Amino acid sequence: MTTKRFTLEAVEWAPWLPPVTPETATPAQRTALEASPQANSAYFRTLANDVDSLAERSPLFHAVMYVPRGLKRAERELATVIVSIINGCVYCSSVHARRFVELTKQPEIIRALYAQGVDTPLEPRLRAIVDYAAKLTRAPAAMTVADLTPLRAVGMDDLEIHDLSNAVAMFANANRLMQTLGEPIVPEEPKPAA
Amino acid sequence: MPHSPDSPDLLEAIIGVAPGSSLSQLRALRPEIVRHTQGSHDVLLSPADPGGLPLGERALVAARVAELSGHPGLAAHYRSLLAGRDKPPQNQRLDTILRHVERVTVAPGTALPEHIQALRDAGLEPQDIVALTQIVAFVSYQVRAAVGLSLLVQEKAV
Repeated sequence: MTTKRFTLEAVEWAPWLPPVTPETATPAQRTALEASPQANSAYFRTLANDVDSLAERSPLFHAVMYVPRGLKRAERELATVIVSIINGCVYCSSVHARRFVELTKQPEIIRALYAQGVDTPLEPRLRAIVDYAAKLTRAPAAMTVADLTPLRAVGMDDLEIHDLSNAVAMFANANRLMQTLGEPIVPEEPKPAA
Repeated sequence: MPHSPDSPDLLEAIIGVAPGSSLSQLRALRPEIVRHTQGSHDVLLSPADPGGLPLGERALVAARVAELSGHPGLAAHYRSLLAGRDKPPQNQRLDTILRHVERVTVAPGTALPEHIQALRDAGLEPQDIVALTQIVAFVSYQVRAAVGLSLLVQEKAV
């Protein structure tokens, strides 16, 4: 097995099942695709093979990631990057690492996570978020109320913790769809300047 | 089976969130999450037209994911759904499905195109394979959402 190359560059995705095409889409599939984040992407057109589940999942995903108040958007994005690194999802981590960087202008945090793993040194609030996301991803059955203590220590309230759990949970979902219905196409490693 | 606002919410029932409690009110701040978590459950586990993935297989797959993820409450829910349905026959098709379900649940980064081909060879159409994957992905989500909520319930109880 080759080492996964996590990146901040844009990654493409190739399906292992025939995606729905504009010519073959039923009216219900067309409606569900228009309500998804990118109607033309091969990923959503693959999910449109089972249209009713796509029609429920798109608004769920949107609410978990983008509904205002509660956990800051950048922190939701960071949590999903941690989940994606642990689950090995190069595509998901690329998309959401870039969103984190757009919001924070801190690419060095992502570079450190990619290079050194999720235990790389971080400021206390991010450390608490990353540790919670990592454990809930790897070992949900081992979670105890003590796992909330570091989040409370950095001042997180019930709504922020609820949002964090939901973001982690949503990427348990996204990483499984993305990695088992197709594969990422990662750009070539940039060549050193001549 | 579309979810009606009057029907009980599965996650709150399983975790023991009392109606009107502070955590029920917390969840109500995210009404779209409540609605589409239940809605995803309903369309994946009890679709009006299950296509080539029968209702018994759907319930069995969901139970297996909950068990592999270590959530007895959700596993019991899916086992009880299964008990009211035609039990899937033990055969090579079911073996192929459950092998794939285990891989997607515990090691999603190890899936390969030949695993999809094996499902197609076992008679599953693209829609059935997407539905199967959505069930595994949904229960993986549901387990973690349930655990997160349970921790807040337990914290309030101390």
